[in-house]
Amino acid sequence: MPVRLLALIPVAVAISLALSAAVEAVALPLFLDTTGTILATALAGPSVGVAVGVLTSAVNTLRNPTFWPFVVIQIIVALYAGLAARAGLFRGLRTAVPAGLGLGVIASLTSTPISYFLFGCTTTGGIALTTALGRALGLPPLGACFFGSFVSDFGDKAVTFALVTSVLHALPRRTAARFPLALRAIGAA
Amino acid sequence: MNPLTLEGVEFHYPATEAPALRDVSLAVAAGEIVALVGKVGAGASTLLLVAADLAPRITGGRLTGTVRRRARSGIVLPTPWTQLSGMAFTVWDEVAFGPANLGWPGREIARHVERALERLEIAALAERDPVTLSGGEVQRVILAGILAMDPDVVLLDEPTAELDPAGARALWRLVRVLAGEGKAIVVATSDLDAVPAVADRVAWLEQGAVRAMGAPDLLAEEATCEAGLGTTVAGVWRAAGLAAPYPLTVADAIQRWR
Amino acid sequence: MRTRHPFTLLTLAAALPTLAWLLPAPAGALGTAAVAFGLATAAGVRRVLVPAVVTAAPFWLFLFVLHDLPTTLAIGLRITTMVAGFVWLAAVLAPDRLVEAMVARGWSVTVAYVFAATLSAVPLFRARARRIVEAQRCRGLSPRGSVAKRLRALRALALPLLLSALHEVDERALALETRGLRSGARRTPLAPPPDPALERAARWALLLVCIAALVGRLV
Repeated sequence: MPVRLLALIPVAVAISLALSAAVEAVALPLFLDTTGTILATALAGPSVGVAVGVLTSAVNTLRNPTFWPFVVIQIIVALYAGLAARAGLFRGLRTAVPAGLGLGVIASLTSTPISYFLFGCTTTGGIALTTALGRALGLPPLGACFFGSFVSDFGDKAVTFALVTSVLHALPRRTAARFPLALRAIGAA
Repeated sequence: MNPLTLEGVEFHYPATEAPALRDVSLAVAAGEIVALVGKVGAGASTLLLVAADLAPRITGGRLTGTVRRRARSGIVLPTPWTQLSGMAFTVWDEVAFGPANLGWPGREIARHVERALERLEIAALAERDPVTLSGGEVQRVILAGILAMDPDVVLLDEPTAELDPAGARALWRLVRVLAGEGKAIVVATSDLDAVPAVADRVAWLEQGAVRAMGAPDLLAEEATCEAGLGTTVAGVWRAAGLAAPYPLTVADAIQRWR
Repeated sequence: MRTRHPFTLLTLAAALPTLAWLLPAPAGALGTAAVAFGLATAAGVRRVLVPAVVTAAPFWLFLFVLHDLPTTLAIGLRITTMVAGFVWLAAVLAPDRLVEAMVARGWSVTVAYVFAATLSAVPLFRARARRIVEAQRCRGLSPRGSVAKRLRALRALALPLLLSALHEVDERALALETRGLRSGARRTPLAPPPDPALERAARWALLLVCIAALVGRLV
């Protein structure tokens, strides 16, 4: 693996985890913990993205061990972002935001069974609360769990895609040209 | 054969029209110290990257001309923090990072690391975590890490940027010692006052081309002083309206006064 | 425990939750939770056991609210095992020992680098993000206002962080290259942790126990 991609991976993981400070400052219910994964995939392809995703989960696990099984989600995110990048969907917000919403649906569909069967939907306070809300609304247990993760995932992935699009377009050409797939992702190749 | 030779080198960064280096030729002999001076963006850093075989290999871009390297080179870049390996939790391990990657046996690594720590006067920091160090200390650790790899060509980009005056003096002394051991040294620096005592030759870079090359007296000439690249003494002499040729160092000025 | 080989510590921390989920609840999970608590206590009551209990407590609360008693017990004990195991691991596993263990075992230096560099980079970038937030706060950033306004503020915070990070990737690549980091090269281990045959046997035994539990569960 070329040394630049080797240097990219730890930085991309650190980005994903550092953005929580920004999110807290604006008090929005987002995670943005797949930002590094999606950005790395757009710049260097899904295999690098998967590495970033796995490592992000591993570091997250140090803080909340129940996050580990959700590494599957990070891998799916990397693969999805790879397809989106190849299709040049990062060329503007008009294509990126719907792509992000699509990923949000897929992500919550995948995380619900994991959350439900392994942890009874109690991975975070937010999820537990929205699940309780869903139950109060009369949804069946699995449905309530889906409701819990959907609400947070949907917006989160759309915002992440939008953010990555902004970054890719803000990169000076000289820097972007050094990453093999960056130009294709923004439809400029 | 010289450890490092550049002939007619032209280099473009990726996706950039203007060349970063134009028709640059430079041959550095073993034991010689060449100083690169110039304004920001003149191409000194790029020249060092080309000499270190990092451009275009890692940076991308295209290079025409010839670069001949007889020996291994090591480069110290200007921003110390980004050069920390991230894989070492003590200064000792950080300095040993390079030699370990080269696959040297443990005892040889220890020998080189101890020597490098001594030379940079940071033996006392050996057990510290690199992230707790000051900018100047990190710069010395990085330099120690490069020296521990025993390169024959040492390339330094603004090595005294983070150091205090005493640290800078110690560093220039070390540079002379390294040259004395036969290493070829190319240093890009804006510390012009130190250059006469350290460098054997000076190359003045402007917009990617070598505008002038010669002995350090170059820094007391009219053209360099006008460009703001003369030594302080020469600049003051000129600004005072005193007659050329301008003195290069304080000692020269005192000589002229007598 | 701290002097054990890092792979042993990892295997133990991975085996406990695996067994907690594979063995029949709640007895199996109770057993693994007890083992995990035992390890945590041995590593230090205040440093490890208390944080483990504190981290696991909220899950019990949510479970109690959402589920009936048997489910709460089963999942609660499993989560407790996982939490206690990981908190214990984080306390006893020294990252540099793990990196040295990987290098000594002949794993690709790139894998070892990526692990270690990630652990170093995370606090660095977190601190940088906080500094950017502070700087923007001085310029009037506040968590109030419409969603659109807050999204724009988020962008203003995130973009500098991300762009400077990508620029730094370039510089890091140059530095790593000049210091000889190469895919597939054999790196000399600087301080390889000892790996007694007994520990290696214990790791294999744990692995077999997990496989047996998996088979037992499927059959």
